[in-house]
Amino acid sequence: MNESTFAELATGFALSALSPADRRDFEAALAEHPEWEKHVRTEAETVLLLADAVEPVVPPASIREELMARILVTPQTPDAASESDEEDFAAAGPAPVTAPARASTGGMRRRWFTLAASIVAVLALGFGAVTIGQQLTRPAAVVALEQIQGASDAQSASVALSDGGEATAHWSAERGEVVLVSDGMPVIADDQTFELWLVRDGDAIPAGTFGATDGTATALLAGAYQPGDIIAVTIEADGGSPTGEPTSDPIVAIATA
Amino acid sequence: MLVPMVIDGVEVPEDGADHVDHVGELLQRVAAGDDTAFARLYDMMSSRVFGLVLRVLVDRSQSEEVLQEVFLEIWQSASKFAPNRGQGRSWVLTMAHRRAVDRVRSSQASADRDVRVGFRDLEAPRDDVAESVEMRIEGRRVAEAVAALPEAQREAITLAYYGGYSQSEIATLLGSPLGTVKTRMRDGLSRLRTLMGVTT
Repeated sequence: MNESTFAELATGFALSALSPADRRDFEAALAEHPEWEKHVRTEAETVLLLADAVEPVVPPASIREELMARILVTPQTPDAASESDEEDFAAAGPAPVTAPARASTGGMRRRWFTLAASIVAVLALGFGAVTIGQQLTRPAAVVALEQIQGASDAQSASVALSDGGEATAHWSAERGEVVLVSDGMPVIADDQTFELWLVRDGDAIPAGTFGATDGTATALLAGAYQPGDIIAVTIEADGGSPTGEPTSDPIVAIATA
Repeated sequence: MLVPMVIDGVEVPEDGADHVDHVGELLQRVAAGDDTAFARLYDMMSSRVFGLVLRVLVDRSQSEEVLQEVFLEIWQSASKFAPNRGQGRSWVLTMAHRRAVDRVRSSQASADRDVRVGFRDLEAPRDDVAESVEMRIEGRRVAEAVAALPEAQREAITLAYYGGYSQSEIATLLGSPLGTVKTRMRDGLSRLRTLMGVTT
């Protein structure tokens, strides 16, 4: 591809208007000729004018509240130093909304310790693109499980599920974390989810939702565990119980001490 | 005379000598997990992002979802913002536009999308939105410059940017060869630069 053809593609790219095939050609050419990035930058600056021409619209205040709550339980992508070749205007890529959870679990955990009270409110909200469940079943839960098992006060307890499966809670009071590992979870409808609860002093505190793959799931409970909490799972409507309280009897209940 | 000018809630001297990238600085703090910086960034940019997303998607509830997605992605991937490679505002608004376009193309709504959406004129700025006069004047200048583009260029650009259509979709819609559409877009942006006095 010559530079003039590339410059033309850069226009389409800046306007988010490339066909998938052109997009691939564009990226390949940019990788081969990093010096052509100047065209991308020029076009992007011009396109920014088009954004400025749009009237700002103040979004509902509830969105700010939800976001401020959601970031408390959303891991961040680790420093991108190793990804310095990431294309410019990195937003360009069809980036997944869910981020890799590894490496930032430490930060998350600290947040959970200090901000447990607000997280409880967070998890009761219905989320759009990213469900907490997706995050919980990602490696964060596996990492947390290893950390719990490595803790000096690691404990676990299992219960049989009604239709043959088994659920095991692993917890560490020192870490304030609980991971629930289960197999043989019942099949639920597409518009349903499993919701985790920490039952404390008779109150059920929402602790995230999760889905099972072939009945198997590993889920890290959101919220700081306290000794004596009962770990429970109920089946709720997608997004979790809208009221923030269980709407059905638990299919799992594990007492801890 | 130095009159303070407010852009996205941040005062900058009118002469533009202050090129501090406030949004970029906030992004770097967000990358380090600073939720206060995130809140400031949101307050500074959310109405711009929402306006842009709403413009592309039209549907308000989908726009609210995309607004959340965008800011959640900012939180997650702020470490990918490279201060040496562009301004923070540009990074945020580019991401917002990409996500809005992704959504309009993936959603069922895209099938029913009103073809005329891209042709709607940029509305005249209303006076009831809390924003600095200077910024509004700037937005109006751009709107005027876009309106001053030759019809064919303006059509191609607005269908792409505000309508979320791809170049090949636009070629089909207009019954023009793809190459012509591409050229119109490129010429249109080039002319817009000239009209706005952008130096590159």
